[in-house]
Amino acid sequence: RLRLYCVPVSAKMALKELSSLEKCLGLKKPNKYSTQGEKKVPVLQNNQGSALVGLVTIASHLVCEAQRTELLGDSAEQRAVVQQWLEYRVTRLDGCSKDEVKVILKELNQYLEDKVYMAGNCFTLADALMYYGIHHIIMELAVEEKERYLNVTRWFDHIQHYPGVRHHLPPVVVLRNRVYPSSQH
Amino acid sequence: MTKEDVKGAAEEEQAQSKKALKKQQKEAEKQAKKAEKQAKMATEQQATDEDDFAKDRYGVSAMVQSQERLGRTLIRVQDLTPEKANQLVWVRARMHTIRAKGKQCFLVLRQQQFNVQALVAVGDRASKQMVKFAANITKESIVDVEAVVQTVEQKIETCTQHDVELHVERIFVISQADARLPLQLEDAVRPDVGVEEEGRATVNQDTRLDNRVIDLRTTTSQAIFRLQSGVCQLFRDTLLQKGFVEIQTPKIISAASEGGANVFTVSYFKTSAYLAQSPQLYKQMCICADFDKVFCIGPGKGRHPLQHHAPPTCGFWELSHFAGRHLLGRLPSCTIRELCIAQVTVHRSSWPDSLESVQEDGGLERPSAVFRAEDSNTHRHLTEFVGLDIEMAFNYHYHEVLDSITDTMVEIFKGLMDRFQTEIQTVCKQYHSEPFKFLEPTLRLEYQEGVAMLRAAGVEMGDEEDLSTPNEKLLGRLVKEKYDTDFYVLDKYPLEVRPFYTMPDPHNPKYSNSYDMFMRGEEILSGAQRVHDAQLLTERASHHGIDLEKIKAYIDSFRYGAPPHAGGGIGLERVTMLYLGLHNIRQTSMFPRDPKRLTP
Repeated sequence: RLRLYCVPVSAKMALKELSSLEKCLGLKKPNKYSTQGEKKVPVLQNNQGSALVGLVTIASHLVCEAQRTELLGDSAEQRAVVQQWLEYRVTRLDGCSKDEVKVILKELNQYLEDKVYMAGNCFTLADALMYYGIHHIIMELAVEEKERYLNVTRWFDHIQHYPGVRHHLPPVVVLRNRVYPSSQH
Repeated sequence: MTKEDVKGAAEEEQAQSKKALKKQQKEAEKQAKKAEKQAKMATEQQATDEDDFAKDRYGVSAMVQSQERLGRTLIRVQDLTPEKANQLVWVRARMHTIRAKGKQCFLVLRQQQFNVQALVAVGDRASKQMVKFAANITKESIVDVEAVVQTVEQKIETCTQHDVELHVERIFVISQADARLPLQLEDAVRPDVGVEEEGRATVNQDTRLDNRVIDLRTTTSQAIFRLQSGVCQLFRDTLLQKGFVEIQTPKIISAASEGGANVFTVSYFKTSAYLAQSPQLYKQMCICADFDKVFCIGPGKGRHPLQHHAPPTCGFWELSHFAGRHLLGRLPSCTIRELCIAQVTVHRSSWPDSLESVQEDGGLERPSAVFRAEDSNTHRHLTEFVGLDIEMAFNYHYHEVLDSITDTMVEIFKGLMDRFQTEIQTVCKQYHSEPFKFLEPTLRLEYQEGVAMLRAAGVEMGDEEDLSTPNEKLLGRLVKEKYDTDFYVLDKYPLEVRPFYTMPDPHNPKYSNSYDMFMRGEEILSGAQRVHDAQLLTERASHHGIDLEKIKAYIDSFRYGAPPHAGGGIGLERVTMLYLGLHNIRQTSMFPRDPKRLTP
C-alpha cells in the first residue's frame, strides 16, 4: 500500500473540511465556498462583495457566526495558544514533506504529554482543525508508530470521538492495549 | 685549465678529502658504538640466561606431531571451581587477553564458552624472563598451562569462572597465532547497546562472516551453535520416541517440487537436474510405501530469480549461481568435521576430490542443508539452510498430525529450557531478549480469527488474502498481548495461497486443511494435509498450471492405495534464531549462504 504523507491539496478536501466544521458548529445553513490559486485556498464570498480568504480566517468567521466564540479561547492566553495552533496547521502541517512528518509527530508528542486538549482545558477550534489536518497522517501509521507517538494517538482518539467532530473522515482504529513493549522504542 | 682553476680544483680535492675523512670518521664511530652495544647486549643476555632459573618452565613447544602419548589429564576450564582449590592442574586454552604490570602478568584463558583468569608472577616458580615471555604471547595462541588453582576473595566479574584464579607454574605455546588478527574477540562479544557512549568498537556482520573461523570462537557463537545442535537432537529424539523413522531423500531431482521455474540447476551428465527445494515429494512417497511416520533432516537449495544457460558438459558437479559460475565442492563429511573442530577456513569453490554426499558427523550434529533461492537478501532468508521435515499418516483427521507436531515443538522448547540454560544465558549477555514463552496445549487460532484480530487493529485485508510479513509480525504481537505466548498455530489457510498438493477444506472450498506455525511473530513451519487421491491431485496440479508430465512419478505413487497423511517442515536456523530472540539468520548459520555470499 502506498503511503502518502503529504496529500496533494485538493479543493474537495478543503471544502469538505469546512462543511464538517459547519456541522460541528451547529450551523444550519451551509455556505457556498470556492477556491483560489494552486494551493486551493478556500474563499467565502459574502454579500457585501468582499471575500474571506483562507482556512483559518473562514473558520474563525464561522465560529463567530455560530456564536461559539469560546472555541477560539476564553482567556487572552488561551486565545493566543489557539491562534498558534491554527497557524501551525496551515504553515507546518499542510503540505509537509515525508521527512517533516516525523519531526511534527515528535514535536506534538512532546507537547501533548501533559495536555488533554491543544489549548487550555477544553475543546477549541485548534483541536478541530489540527484533527482534520493530521487525520491523513495518523491513518497511515502502523500500530508500532502509533504506539511510538502515544500522546498524539491518545489526543487524536479523544478528538475523533468528541461529539460532532468527525463527520467526513473515517475513524482510525486505536488499540486499547500496547502490543509493543516500551523498551523497544 | 688556468691557474685559478687548478687552485680551485686542488681546493676542491682537499675539501673533498676532508669531507671523505669526516665521513669515514663518523662511520668508524658508528661501528664502534654498534660493536659496543652488541657486546653489552651479549653480556647482558649471558647474564640473564644464566639468571633464568625458570628456563624449562616456559617456551614454545615443538609442533605436536604425536611425538609421544603423554598420559596427562587436562582439566576443562568449565571445571575450574573452588572445589579444586590448591590443586596443581594442566589446562589447554586460548590466550584471550594479556595484561602485564611490572613483575606480574595477568592472563585470561578462554575455552569455548568459559574463561578464567591466570597470573604469572615473579617468584620462586617464575622468573622475570618467564613473565616477559607470557606477556608477549600473541592473542588467540593455544597454550598449555600448569597452574595451582587458587580461590579469590573478590569475584572476578569479567570471567565465567569468577571465584578462582590460576597461579601459573609452567606455560608452553602449542600453536602460535599471528600477531595481527582480522578481528578482536573482545569486540566481537560486546553488546551493541550503549556502544557509542563508551566509545568502544563492535564488529560488523560482514567482517564476522568473512572471518567466520575466528568469529565462531566467541563465547556467544559457541553457545548459539551448541543450542542449535540441541534443537536438532531434541527433534530427532522426540520423533524417534514417537515411533518415527528417519529417512534420507534425494537432493538431485528432475523436476522442481513447488512447481516454480526458479531453481538451482546442476549439470547432470548430458542433461540438467535440479537441487531439491524440499524433501516434500519423497516424504510422501515414503508414506505411500507404508513407513507411516517419517522425518528427515536434509539440505536444499531454493529458487533464484535468474535462470542460466546450460553449463559446459563435464564430469564434475557445477552449480550455476546468479551471475557467476561457482564450483560447489562436495567435501567428504570427515573434512567438514575437521573444519568445525580445527576451524580452518577452506575456500568452498575448490574441485571436489570425491562426489561422496555429505553425511552427518558424530560430533556436533551437522545435518545437511536445504537449498532455497528466494530472491530475498533479508535478515531471515538463506539460500542454503537445514530443513527438519515431518510426514505422518493419520486415521481420521489431520489434527492428529498437527497435535503431534506441536507436541514435538513443545518438547524441543522444554528441552532447551532444561538443558541449555548456560547457553541461553551466554547469548543473552550479548543479545538480550525476553525468555521464550509457550502454552500447553499449544495455542491454535483459525486463519479467519487471525484476520479478524488484524482488522480490529486497523489492518485492511481480504478474507482469502495471504498474510504479508508485516501483518504476520503484527498478528504475532497481538497474539502475544492477548494470550501471552510466543508460539502459536494458525489453522485453515485459504486454499488459493497454498501449494497444489494441499487438501481443500471439506466444508468450505475456499479454505484448506493447512497450517503455519509462528515463533515470536515469524513463520517457522508451513504444513498441511496432503492430497492422497491421484485424481484430485491431477485436478489441483492442472488448476495451478503444472506440467503433469514432470510430476508423473509423484502422482503415480498415489494410485496404489495411499493413506491420508499430513506433515510440515521447519528451518533449523530460523528456529534457533527465534528461540533466542536474535535478529539475523546469519548469526545462527555457521557458514551462511545468501545471494551475496558464497565463502567461506
